[in-house]
Amino acid sequence: MTDAADGEGRMRLTVVGGFLGSGKTTWLRHQLHAGYLRDAYVIVNEAAETPVDDALLGQSADLEVLAGGCACCDGLSGLLSALRRLCDRRSQSRSDGGRLERIVLETSGLADPAPIVQAIRADPLLVHHIVVSEIIVAVDALNAAAHLRTEALGRRQVEIADRLLLTKVDAAPREDVVQLMATLARLNPGADLSGTILGSLADLPDATGVEGEVLPMLGDGPAPAPIFPTRLKLDDEIDWTVFAVWLSALLHARGDDVLRVKGVIRTPAGRLLLQSVRRIVQSPEILPSRDGDEALDDDMIVVIGRGYRAEDLSCSLKAFAGVRTKD
Amino acid sequence: MCSSCGFPAAAGHWTETGAVDAGGRLRARYRRSAVLKRVLAGTGLAAHDGGIIPGIQLSTASGSTMIVTDLEEFWREAERLMGRPLDPLSPDFLGGRTCG
Repeated sequence: MTDAADGEGRMRLTVVGGFLGSGKTTWLRHQLHAGYLRDAYVIVNEAAETPVDDALLGQSADLEVLAGGCACCDGLSGLLSALRRLCDRRSQSRSDGGRLERIVLETSGLADPAPIVQAIRADPLLVHHIVVSEIIVAVDALNAAAHLRTEALGRRQVEIADRLLLTKVDAAPREDVVQLMATLARLNPGADLSGTILGSLADLPDATGVEGEVLPMLGDGPAPAPIFPTRLKLDDEIDWTVFAVWLSALLHARGDDVLRVKGVIRTPAGRLLLQSVRRIVQSPEILPSRDGDEALDDDMIVVIGRGYRAEDLSCSLKAFAGVRTKD
Repeated sequence: MCSSCGFPAAAGHWTETGAVDAGGRLRARYRRSAVLKRVLAGTGLAAHDGGIIPGIQLSTASGSTMIVTDLEEFWREAERLMGRPLDPLSPDFLGGRTCG
């Protein structure tokens, strides 16, 4: 996760999602207990009317529970109001210390994080105050394989994660964990994967070379094509302006297929961090300049999606840039 | 926002970040306009941004022109005027190009 002080003065929002019972609260509770999120304001969303998680998360000084509606649909207006209140409160506090810099939102198990990110991006006030820095999705090593076979929501949650937490890895047989890891890598090849036991980090077995499960199609229509990552290198001919025009056209036409776009691009204004979730692009933020090894990945964009050929991406981008290609 | 024309109606589009000063913003607009002209070549539509009027001007072959605020609206309207999808990955667009 990028440091809280990096974000152009905007608050950083970490979304913690995952299917029902996947271990979101356990992980968050451990993070709070260990003091990793001491400076964060925690918002817990529960779909049920009676909140439970706030009792579990007693360690946080700043905790708010939004009960009785999932934050991606019924409870969205409540979430946006809560975030606006935080923006107000922060605007009134001094900038030289004690100002809120980080928010953690634990969604309900029934929430799709994408509409939440979209709503924040579309809100004229929140877009200037909040940047979604990371989407963490908890995946239950015991039950996720079954959920992924039958629940479209479970798949959507996994597909848009930046980081997948494989929880309860001690409770599942090793071969099941390895198989699930391969399946997750097939669904979201770009996400970091780490294992946890009761919220603490745990080692994961090696799943190199293991074939992920081909998940059955859900509902009508053809089976979805596999998701794969593509790396695009920007150079002198393909600068930020060309890339932005191309990406806006690509997301307009293929926003359902292009699940994630991530990368750091050098521009006259500095290093821009670009992130998109389906059709929603975060307003790019300027990162501090860096030299040496850490800047090697600059101008390298990762596009994660399905339903197109990898070579067509670079071909199309070159066509936008006016680079001559073989006919 | 301009009190005469109400433009821009919303915060800057994500594609418009990356310039530090007014000159840089103008250069980026000219460059964007050049890219759009290239992409629309052969469709009967034309894009123009002279740097004075806010937004991007999108014209049809018959000369009727509209102003769109950002690229999101640009692609939507271009597609509507063309009457068919504008997909940068379609074989029509790639036109038999083979890229390494």
